Amino acid sequence: MKQRQGLIALAFLAPALVCLAVLRIVPAISAVIESFYTESLLRGGRVFAGLGNYTDLLSNKDFRQSVGVTLLFTVLVNPIQVVVSFLLAVLFTQRAVGSKLWRTLVILPIATPPAVSAVIWSVIYRPDGLANGVLERLGLPAQPFLTSSGQVLPSLIVLLSWIGVGYWMLFLIAGIQEVPVEVREAALLDGAGAWRRMVSVILPLVRRPLAFVLVADTVSNLLVFAPVQILTKGGPNGNSNLLMYDVYSRAYAIGDIHVAQAEVVILVALTLAIVAGQFRLLRGDQ
Amino acid sequence: MQRNLFAVPAAVVAAALLVAGCGGSSASSGAPAAADSGPATGTITFTGTDNAETYQPVIKAFEAKNPGIKVAYTQIPFDQFNATMQQRLSAKDTGVDVYTVDEPRVSQLAAKGFLVDLSDLDGQVKTGFSAAAYKTNHFRDKLWSLPMWNSTQFLFYNKTALAKAKVTPPTADPQQRWTWEQVEAAGRKAMQSGGTKYGLFMEQPEAYYQLQPLAESLGGGSGIEGDDALTPAVETDGWKKAMQWYGATFASGLSPRGIGGFQTGPVFAAGDVAFFVGGPWDLKIFGSSKIDWGVAPLPYFQGGKPVTPTGSWSLGINPASKQQAMARKFLEFATLDPAGNLATTSTTTIIPANVEAQKQYTPTMDAFSGAKTAGAAAITTYESEHTAVSRPVSVGYIQFEEVMGKTFADIRNGTNPDTRLQEATRQLTDAWKSIK
Repeated sequence: MKQRQGLIALAFLAPALVCLAVLRIVPAISAVIESFYTESLLRGGRVFAGLGNYTDLLSNKDFRQSVGVTLLFTVLVNPIQVVVSFLLAVLFTQRAVGSKLWRTLVILPIATPPAVSAVIWSVIYRPDGLANGVLERLGLPAQPFLTSSGQVLPSLIVLLSWIGVGYWMLFLIAGIQEVPVEVREAALLDGAGAWRRMVSVILPLVRRPLAFVLVADTVSNLLVFAPVQILTKGGPNGNSNLLMYDVYSRAYAIGDIHVAQAEVVILVALTLAIVAGQFRLLRGDQ
Repeated sequence: MQRNLFAVPAAVVAAALLVAGCGGSSASSGAPAAADSGPATGTITFTGTDNAETYQPVIKAFEAKNPGIKVAYTQIPFDQFNATMQQRLSAKDTGVDVYTVDEPRVSQLAAKGFLVDLSDLDGQVKTGFSAAAYKTNHFRDKLWSLPMWNSTQFLFYNKTALAKAKVTPPTADPQQRWTWEQVEAAGRKAMQSGGTKYGLFMEQPEAYYQLQPLAESLGGGSGIEGDDALTPAVETDGWKKAMQWYGATFASGLSPRGIGGFQTGPVFAAGDVAFFVGGPWDLKIFGSSKIDWGVAPLPYFQGGKPVTPTGSWSLGINPASKQQAMARKFLEFATLDPAGNLATTSTTTIIPANVEAQKQYTPTMDAFSGAKTAGAAAITTYESEHTAVSRPVSVGYIQFEEVMGKTFADIRNGTNPDTRLQEATRQLTDAWKSIK
């Protein structure tokens, strides 16, 4: 009987398992294998290069800059997005007039594909665009945004937060609504203020969704691609050349698929290292 | 809590595998496999960058002439076209039968096995097209694609803004061609008199096609040299001078930063720029704008020589196509047949590459947008005979164009041109290492 149940479960799982193998595991293994090969267009033929592609990458100035930019981006964007999502979630779970409407407006950008969001923001960031129009109204000088080496990363962070914050907020709203009413009422009766209730009551009780949001947000931000490709192409001077875009650029624009695959392996390793670190930190606090 | 958090690394591994999956499969190299030429009737797919309306007339004419064959057109936006095609062709995607080929990319596409050998049509191409078009569609003495279009560049000017600035506009006579110095001075006057926001703007401000003439006008060369055409030469005096001038046009506000892609034409059409460098397609596009404008030949640098860009899209067949016989029929109709070639240019005002079609087409250019386009035909004829310089033929052109595009973008955004060109040399040397 048990064996039969197992077979039935396997049959139900089979399509998913086959897809996982064909679409994920096989390409991943192939990427690792191909990263050890090189191919010459003039001489033709594929030759084993060992760690050649990896050493080429590590000695490449543009790649090292790309790793640096990606790490800086990760350090900046994730805490900003998690904190803003949490604050918005707390705000929009209050019983206040119009909070449902505001919540909907914040969630709305999720429905917009990243490429469309990028196009919208390309117009906002133009020298004569909406952002500079607002600054002008406020009596502030016009800013270069995407054309400045110093402002390009913050500009992308604002754009990506506009897209992402509403999405992550949804998980946290669900978490906050799970907090038992009695606990909140008890805190209220004990005379805890709004700040105290948020820090000492809500925050510890939404740690699970918060941990999920932090990890999933980190992975999603390490895969940022469309806005970079559409708005900056990694520039100016490589200051927005995030690893995912660099992989694409090497594979399909420059056309060096083997080096690109070596870079993919490095990106995966980096993602795992960062997330494992986060996971350890979260576990250590138990 | 503990148990649930353990689920997170599993999700991460799955996400990481997703990243790995994006690496794709290896590109194949070597000669394309000889494929079965496929059925005589059915539907073939044609992939290009222009919008669907552009190819409706040629598809309609072809389908009328070849009952039983249908052509389905797929558009991939210009910015994503080359990378997407690289991906699809290397995956041997049979969903592409015929595709548009940017002429300088023929060498690398052929070397990678992404084009079908069309050498049996060599004689017809030699007699039916210009020598430049014939040459750029060849690689290792074989013909890989058939030229569909040709192009040139014009200097468009805003008549109203120049009149307000009391500047006599340039004429359409190539002998009286303006220099860039003249354009710059007149553009500044137009800005000062309040006629326009900007003095000068190029349609593709980060594209090698449009910026090559700047360096070539100063004798800087194409940027590629050597027997194998895989040695960077972008630090010549001509390139440095041209890029210093180009960077300064943005630093001084003569040209706007931060507007790219296909947002440039509307800046001219809105009356915000005095001079605009654009192609024959703009002769009709600007016709619907409310401003008064005219066309003049592309300028050159004082002391230098006039140089204009040329070349455009060709058509090629995907070796993975299972319908090559039908694909060939369409290819031959759209390029070798003058009527078919003309039909490719009936909605977009681009110059047909077929010499016979061109003879019929060029005289009509003067009337594309009434009196505004007067002189366009004579400029086109003059440039193709005297000043047109093709983009360099190199198996490393794809890498070259990518590296130069980013270089132009950085120079435009204020990076020192000399150090950026030096950086470009390093990047090209790195990128070409894997080809050699």
